[in-house]
Amino acid sequence: MRDLPSKEANLFREILKCYELKQYKRGFKGADQILKKFPEHGETLAMKGLFYNHLDKKDLAYEFVKKGIRHDMKSHICWHVFGLLYRSDKNYEEAAKCYAHALKYDKENIQILRDLSLLQMQMRNLEGYVDTRHILLELRPQNRQYWVAVAIGYQLLGKPELGVKVLTTYEETLKEVPSTPDYEHSEMLLYHNTLLEEAGDLQAALDHLDTIEKQVCDRKALKEKRAKFFLGLGRLSEAEAAYRGLLAVNPDNMAYFEGLRNSLGLGGDRPTDEDEVKILDMFKQLQKEYPRSNAAKRLPLRYATGEAFVKVADEYIRSMLRKGVPSLFVNIKTLYSDSAKETAVEKLALGYLASLDKSKGFDHSGAVVEPPTALLWTLYFLAQHYDFKRETEQALGYINRAIEHTPTLVELYMAKGRILKHAGDHVAAMGALNEARELDLQDRFINTKCTKYMLRADNMAEAEKTAVLFTRADIPNPLNDLVDMQTQWFSLEAGESNLRQNQVGRALKRFHQVDKHFNDYTEDQFDFHTYCLRKMTLRAYVSMVRLEDQLRNHPYYVRAAQNAVQCYVRLFDKPDGSESEEMEGMTEAEKKKFRSKQRKAELKAQQEAEDKKKKAAVAAAETAKKAGTPAAAVKVDEDPEGTKYTKCEDPLGEALKFLQPLQQLASDRVETHLMAFEIYVRKNKLLLALKALLKSIKIDANHATLHEQLVRFALAVQKASSAKTLKPSVKAVIDQHWSELYDAHGQDLSAFNVAFVNKNKDLGSVPHVISAAMSTYLINPSKNLGQAELLLFSVAEKGDKYKRTRTLENVLLVQKTLKGFKSSRQQEWKAKGNEWFPNAVAFQ
Amino acid sequence: MNIREATLDDMIPMQNCNLHNLPENYQMKYYFYHSLTWPQLSYVAEDEKGRIIGYVLAKLEEDPAAEPHGHITSLSVMRTYRRLGVAEKLMTQSQNAMRDVFNCKFVSLHVRKSNRAALQLYRDTLKFTVQDIEKKYYADGEDAYACRKTLQE
Repeated sequence: MRDLPSKEANLFREILKCYELKQYKRGFKGADQILKKFPEHGETLAMKGLFYNHLDKKDLAYEFVKKGIRHDMKSHICWHVFGLLYRSDKNYEEAAKCYAHALKYDKENIQILRDLSLLQMQMRNLEGYVDTRHILLELRPQNRQYWVAVAIGYQLLGKPELGVKVLTTYEETLKEVPSTPDYEHSEMLLYHNTLLEEAGDLQAALDHLDTIEKQVCDRKALKEKRAKFFLGLGRLSEAEAAYRGLLAVNPDNMAYFEGLRNSLGLGGDRPTDEDEVKILDMFKQLQKEYPRSNAAKRLPLRYATGEAFVKVADEYIRSMLRKGVPSLFVNIKTLYSDSAKETAVEKLALGYLASLDKSKGFDHSGAVVEPPTALLWTLYFLAQHYDFKRETEQALGYINRAIEHTPTLVELYMAKGRILKHAGDHVAAMGALNEARELDLQDRFINTKCTKYMLRADNMAEAEKTAVLFTRADIPNPLNDLVDMQTQWFSLEAGESNLRQNQVGRALKRFHQVDKHFNDYTEDQFDFHTYCLRKMTLRAYVSMVRLEDQLRNHPYYVRAAQNAVQCYVRLFDKPDGSESEEMEGMTEAEKKKFRSKQRKAELKAQQEAEDKKKKAAVAAAETAKKAGTPAAAVKVDEDPEGTKYTKCEDPLGEALKFLQPLQQLASDRVETHLMAFEIYVRKNKLLLALKALLKSIKIDANHATLHEQLVRFALAVQKASSAKTLKPSVKAVIDQHWSELYDAHGQDLSAFNVAFVNKNKDLGSVPHVISAAMSTYLINPSKNLGQAELLLFSVAEKGDKYKRTRTLENVLLVQKTLKGFKSSRQQEWKAKGNEWFPNAVAFQ
Repeated sequence: MNIREATLDDMIPMQNCNLHNLPENYQMKYYFYHSLTWPQLSYVAEDEKGRIIGYVLAKLEEDPAAEPHGHITSLSVMRTYRRLGVAEKLMTQSQNAMRDVFNCKFVSLHVRKSNRAALQLYRDTLKFTVQDIEKKYYADGEDAYACRKTLQE
């Protein structure tokens, strides 16, 4: 509070306090009072700006804060305030600059240093964080928080051993340690131990546990660590005892069973025959010890083979069928990666059914009469089993029998829906799920599943109506509750449905929504940078930071990004949407008719949207009136169609924004680079496209889609070179890598393609055939069409060669490819599809 | 089935599980808050593929007026994974942690008055007792049973 007389200086102190106490209106008045007398007092002007910010007047906020700085360039308060303003707008970069500026004029200001360190952590400027935290520690060495913060900084920088040093020094300064366990102290000690472990010295970590044992509250963590260290150090008998101790407390923890198995020297995924016997004995013992443990019963199925497998599987499946456990099949099917186990399970289940039909027992011995529900659950199991094998008729037969047996069981209709979905009839699947839903209207789970199936059937109206049955009813648009609660699955499924219906704008809106959820997850960590240092929950804190660093590698984001890229690429290829997917392969007359139909539908939709908007506005005003909130606070969606996205200037640039996090975090996935290629090749960035191809080759050189991209790349290079747009420097780099892409085939693309066909002729993979056909066609569309068609139809050859990959999805892809060729053999293919998938609507 | 302490990595699937099963939902920050304040109290159940199919989200009630006790914020198991005792196992582990780590004397929770299945689980299987009825506890105006269970033997 520079250059103010004492009365105003006091007042200024008061308005600072108002800010801390969030009394913004009062603070604002105080600031005005000072400014009346000293209209050019910089710090007060800045504070007034800050109050404006909290009173929702952004423009004025920036105006006043900047004015404040102009009047007092050397005030740390002004710069700190400017930083706070930027921070509230999440502009962390600029905020950090302001704080650094403020510190020039007040080097040891604790508050500013702390604020700066938070930003540095949020932006993962870890070197900066450690520096700032060191300054704070020197200023406040008596405070535990400042010590642990430095240790955390070092750990995240990958120097846990320095973190250990910091904590050891701190612990030595403690005159007395808590005599009874104190949670915060205990958490710090366990964190210290984790640092020792990360530094790689297990012996030191183990010894450390002995010294802290009496002060630790989290006994389980202590025991887990001890068991792990014993095992890591090869002290097997002690490890065994430790894991047995842990199992006594939680006999359903897989990690403990794994630990025990390893400490008995029986580790590894594929045990020898001798070890297999020992493992099964071990579990037999454990089952006796822990009769209620599911894991002890289930794990033997993982390790047993041959006859032994049949024996344990028989026992396990019988007990689950007797109990009526709905998840039995989902649990068992993971074993099917071993086809011998799949066959054995099938034989067992068919045997049960035959016996139950005859003698009401799982076998013909007549020793045990099973409850009548055993038959029901056996039928349910078999239906799911045959659905897994995509033997639709069999599956439907069993599920219909089960429904006849017990027509009121929700799970049966869910299974039926799933079978129908896999068979390609989404509307019938949705019908089955709706029956299930109506059997239990109180249950949100079945409601959720039903909504999902409605979206798969592209019935948005029903889906929305159903979804809102369980959302908050007290807000104007209950669908917004799904967004507010970050319902990722809904955004993804709805977006994918929009995309299938060529509503690219709506689809993009949803995928951007998912992106926004992830942004919020990133923002969420901010407050915890301070909070966790106070609470000492440091192990949890570090795992949060590490989670955040990997956040966009989450399957939800990956899925949203892949879809969004697809949308933007489509917008680039067909900016006005005039050639939608449905129109490919139509004659001009058909196109004309289709367009006029579309226009009418559009007009109707527009009208409806207008009406809806008006109604929503009225309803919103109503609710707001009731709730007493100002009408302006209620959001009305101004752009339900997402034209903001479809009319964007640079769709490929937008696509890149979605892709970039994946290039950083998911560079081990071939899909990331396949997407990158699609964007760069359209942007004519041939070197970046080349880079994407090289990365894909490294991950999966024989990937089906990659082959087609290679052919397209060569064509793009040829085209650029004959149009004389290929820069010599670019060409030089491409030439240098050419043989990595096309082996010894040079410019002979046809030979390259034939080599690909030959290489994969025994693979029996439909995607590879599609890629080869596509390439054949692209190399010379007018000449090679017939040949490309022949390739595609080779999938229909007699014999089992393509049976495994002739899935509904792939057969539809072939159909789409033929459509893209404007092939005259589309009907012929459709008939084939109908033969293989009689339930699939697409082939009817 | 795997029953283990929840980690930060479980928060997104936990939120997803909650949104599938229950009408009371929370934003991610609230899950973070639980796991970063009382990391020992929340548990998850995983299926064979490692998917989260059930969870218990729990906290400490630090009301200075009452003795420290645990509170179950949310518990649910996907419908298709019922009849394996998952909910009970999750609760047992969480309650042990409340007692052992935080020295809780009892644990409390709320149940919708209309949710008979849940009440049966808490009262009959898990030995909770109904303490009270809290009028209009839920956002939609429904009453809640306030239940509790003693933890120290």
